[in-house]
Amino acid sequence: MTFASFSDSRTSISRLSAVRVPPTVALSFAVIAIVVAWALAPELFTGHSPIVGVPAEKLLSPNASHWFGTDHLGRDLYTRVVYGTASSVTSALIAVTIAAVAGGFMGLLAGFLGGWVDILLARLVDVLLAIPNFLLAVIVVTAIGFDTTNAAIATGVSAVAVFARVMRSEVIKTRRATFVEAAFLMGGSRWHILLRHVLPNASRSVLPLAVLQFGLSILVIASLAFLGYGDPPPASDWGLLISIGKDYLKWPWLVYAPAFVTIATVLSVNRISRWLRKTD
Amino acid sequence: MNSAYLAYAAKRLAQALVVSVLAYILTFVVVSILPGDPITNVLRDPQNGFTEDEIKAIIAAQGLDQPIPVQLWTSLSHFVTGDFGLSMRSSRPVATLIAEVLPSTLTLASAAFAIALLLAVTIGYGTQFLPKRLGQGLLRGLPSLFLSVPNFVIGLILIHVFGFQLGLFRVIEPNSFWATLFASIALGIPISARIAEVLIANLDKESEQEYAAVARGRGLTQMRLFARHLLKPSSLPVVTVIALAIGELLGGSLITETVFGRTGIGSLVQRSVSTQDLPVLQAVVSLAALVFVIVNLLADLGYPLLDPRVKLIGDRKYRPTTADDSPATVTAAVTS
Repeated sequence: MTFASFSDSRTSISRLSAVRVPPTVALSFAVIAIVVAWALAPELFTGHSPIVGVPAEKLLSPNASHWFGTDHLGRDLYTRVVYGTASSVTSALIAVTIAAVAGGFMGLLAGFLGGWVDILLARLVDVLLAIPNFLLAVIVVTAIGFDTTNAAIATGVSAVAVFARVMRSEVIKTRRATFVEAAFLMGGSRWHILLRHVLPNASRSVLPLAVLQFGLSILVIASLAFLGYGDPPPASDWGLLISIGKDYLKWPWLVYAPAFVTIATVLSVNRISRWLRKTD
Repeated sequence: MNSAYLAYAAKRLAQALVVSVLAYILTFVVVSILPGDPITNVLRDPQNGFTEDEIKAIIAAQGLDQPIPVQLWTSLSHFVTGDFGLSMRSSRPVATLIAEVLPSTLTLASAAFAIALLLAVTIGYGTQFLPKRLGQGLLRGLPSLFLSVPNFVIGLILIHVFGFQLGLFRVIEPNSFWATLFASIALGIPISARIAEVLIANLDKESEQEYAAVARGRGLTQMRLFARHLLKPSSLPVVTVIALAIGELLGGSLITETVFGRTGIGSLVQRSVSTQDLPVLQAVVSLAALVFVIVNLLADLGYPLLDPRVKLIGDRKYRPTTADDSPATVTAAVTS
């Protein structure tokens, strides 16, 4: 990162329009837009109830009035997926926020203060990395209790180390930049420099990581829900829907439809993350 | 083998030791804040029929009335000697429980690992030699797709297509050849994606090198060019990813074993989570961390020996480009 690119004051919006968006990225944004809309106002997208089913219409295959078919209680699966979106997406958001804030803070301290703080935090990060991610999430959610919010917290905890590591290296890189040295020479205090110069620059590369981690968190939370560590039915988190569907493999859309939505979402998120990393 | 390497090795070894002990402590802390009181819940279970005095006696005998740090010390010192305590549910030694299910998980994990490696190398080969328009883009997108599919969905798709539709295996016989094979594929696919990402990046780098051009000019066959001049130099960075993949194999086995109904470490963990069997959880998680630490230690120690270009500068070690690193985190100390 050079001084020139730092002093570049174009806003992020004009930067977006300056960069040509490849078609796959545009498609990814469209998918995410739909998912966000589902999360915010599920009732606008479906006329069925996600909880009360019509027993006479159970296990119908996908058709014009039931796009994803119906489940074993005659509930419209598309409706269940739409209503499950809010909790699936919000919990991934919680996870990423926890991981980015806690990990970012640790990385910032380690990279900026150096010395024994760095050594101490480096070992803590090593420990968090040593315990297999998913296993860590499982024992944390076991410790704090089974529900979707706790699963999100556990997922966040298991991703702290990744953010800490990236943030630390970015901070160290920024700290050595000429403009930071200049700020020191101009008599800026440590905290002023940390907050005003180092943090904004170092957080740049954290954004693509956060987006990537958002996709990963959806997967981990879905896995926890699949194992039954999230909210119980009639909640309809995507992972839980797939988990219920696995007992009805004769009616495979019960697995494939929510799985398709999950995969499309994560794929889009990953595509956007890769695009962000390239354009930054 | 010079003194710089020995100093590096000693430092890495000490680090690994510290991390292993800290991992044990962290697990202990997390597990001991479990809600409710799992220990007395078990003891007060009417089926056990203990009286209040007997419960107190048992608690005292097990040292469960001691302060947490004392308990931690006792448990850690026992762990080091291979004594993982007794399962709270079955009253059998945790070590025995783990030993019983370990072979099944090892079979699954090693098969999955082999499949992941094979798949990654095949994808890597394709990205170098398939015609640009035909399939290359598709192959390059494959790792990303693999990483976007939940692990359990891959398993369910395989069960549905090959188990139900094609009738290759039956779900009620999880240890049959075909069931094991497909379980390994389900576990191996996401791991192959991680390896493939790094492999492709390094293959691309190698194929631009002058010696690759020379080898091409000499008229080597594709296979030979790939194996000797591209894959060989690319395989070193992959070692580090492979070491990291061990953790993922362990975590993934939890899901895969559940989906395919296999017994193993994963299903043991799941059972212990639902019954709040603390000693089992403590042992499995700490052992998993230990395995991870050892494998990574070996990878780090082996690296400078395998790649003579690597120079050790202070505590900075050579790190190859890995998928989750931003370019900045790669502190390469390669001099060419």
